[in-house]
Amino acid sequence: MLTINKSSENNKAVLSLAGRLDTVTAPDFDKTVREVIPGITELELDLKKLEYISSAGLRVLLTAQKIMNTQGTMSVCNVNETVMEIFDVTGFSDILTIKN
Amino acid sequence: MSDKNISPITIALSGRIDSGNAAETEKEINKQLSSSVNAPVILDASNLLYISSAGLRVILRIKKAHSDLTITDVSSEVYEILEMTGFTEIIKVEKAYRTVSVEGCEVIGEGFNGKVYRIDKDNVVKTYKNADALSEIQHERKVAKLALILGVPTAISYDVVRVGESYGSVFELLNSRSFSKILAGEPEKFDWCVSEYVKMLKKIHSIVVPKGELPSIKEKTLRSVMRMKDSLPDGLGDKLVKMIEDIPESDHMVHGDFHTKNIVLAGDEVLVIDMDTISVGHPIFDFIHMYDAYVGFSEYDPGIVLDFQGYSSEISRKFWHSTLMSYLGTEDEKRFEDVDKKVRCLAYAGLIDWGIRHPDPDPQKARATIDLWKTRLIEILGEINTLNFDLPAADGANELQIDAITENLEKVIDFVNKRLEAVDCSPKNIMQLDIAVEEIFVNIANYAYSPEIGTATVKVEVSDAPVTVTVTFTDNGVPYDPLKKADPDVSLSAEKREIGGLGIFLTKKVIDDISYEYKNGSNILTIKKTV
Repeated sequence: MLTINKSSENNKAVLSLAGRLDTVTAPDFDKTVREVIPGITELELDLKKLEYISSAGLRVLLTAQKIMNTQGTMSVCNVNETVMEIFDVTGFSDILTIKN
Repeated sequence: MSDKNISPITIALSGRIDSGNAAETEKEINKQLSSSVNAPVILDASNLLYISSAGLRVILRIKKAHSDLTITDVSSEVYEILEMTGFTEIIKVEKAYRTVSVEGCEVIGEGFNGKVYRIDKDNVVKTYKNADALSEIQHERKVAKLALILGVPTAISYDVVRVGESYGSVFELLNSRSFSKILAGEPEKFDWCVSEYVKMLKKIHSIVVPKGELPSIKEKTLRSVMRMKDSLPDGLGDKLVKMIEDIPESDHMVHGDFHTKNIVLAGDEVLVIDMDTISVGHPIFDFIHMYDAYVGFSEYDPGIVLDFQGYSSEISRKFWHSTLMSYLGTEDEKRFEDVDKKVRCLAYAGLIDWGIRHPDPDPQKARATIDLWKTRLIEILGEINTLNFDLPAADGANELQIDAITENLEKVIDFVNKRLEAVDCSPKNIMQLDIAVEEIFVNIANYAYSPEIGTATVKVEVSDAPVTVTVTFTDNGVPYDPLKKADPDVSLSAEKREIGGLGIFLTKKVIDDISYEYKNGSNILTIKKTV
């Protein structure tokens, strides 16, 4: 189960994720990202309540980062320790802008 | 050494052999044996009343000189002495059979192969129509003992007796009532019967049988289908054989004839009887024989079920429906229909083979019955392409067999996490194991059988010191070693990073050990993590 909360202001969008970002839920997240991304210059992902992430979730993060690199900035905040470890071993902590 | 081609020498023992006459008896026996050193020796004990330790020492010395020694027709009293002293372990001893008359006894059960009589308040004798019943009886005693040791509550026959020209086995059954009698006489106990029946069936299916101890029920089913498959049109017979071959192998126990006559309430204990058909295999093979008993045999003539089980076909159909739903842990009619159809497919095939070999005395009825089964079988064979379906994980079972599709990911993760509950495992370790399980299962789902659907087996084992979780994934799809794939370069920038190729890399990072092998047509991937 994954719930995604959206909020946006001017050219900035914030997506707050809660639950599990896995093979089953990643397509929903991908869809949401693609909906909010056109026209914004700043994307913030709040992972405070994200409990789990697998490679399917990482792929969506990478896709979002690639798009945002062409039109603005993306940041990730409130990453918990276990998710952070996944970012570290996969090199994602270097790709993503993490603000804790 | 004895020689099989030399005919045995039989020596009769009689009366009492004790210190008073042991030496004399030994001399007499040796005189008879002196001419033939290599012949097998049979000591006929039918008239032997008693044997003391002096007599036993005589037998030991004979055994030393003549290794092929058998003592036959031993009375219960003498047998007890031989058993107590351990002689039955070192010498072949054949007991004398007690003769039991069943004349005037109440028939408490009748099956296809024989009748069960109550010979007194607490004892029943099961007789066999077959004149060569001794080997059948010995097989049943052997497998029933095995089942009992492995944890199935069953009645073991404690004696083999002569009944007329054939043999019977004697069971102690205190105050027993079969579930058929209960369903027929106390309809208010229907739900209780369903619950106890399913509990017992699941217990049997949870038992892993040591290799080679019991026959495979899948092979038996295939033999039966091979006999009838050519009576089906348009290559449907071959399709059926292929679908049976695709049913996953299993080393778990099945009963093979699990219907309500074979489940008894003895005192307040539920027991399973009639163990001669126990085998190893997938639960679907038990469902088939359940369907036969409740619906299949009586599909043309519903009156048959009343004759056989003692209750109406309405009750029997309801019992089939309720027990299968309960076994599957579902209230979804669609799920019942899916599994019911697969069970019926195999049941009809078996019934057609049975019907051809045991035709109804009325030729018109025999033909109509088989035609009905055949019409329905052909209809089903046109609709389905697999006999496989998901089984609920048995309580405490450490193995899950499931269709390898991503929609089942949650079930797999739940199964693994349930097993981890018993282990002192931190949330971080659970998450990392879940990631590894997800990546591997999704890989199998996406690639192993694509575009078809096949089965994956997930097995979780936990060992101590240090506590290590081992998860083994098995599939029969295309051979593929995911460990051969090169790791992605994780130092690249976002622009240069590829979107895919992360799953197995991530798996390697979160667990301690991963290995792959391809064996007997299966991909086997094993991960280990110390927690």
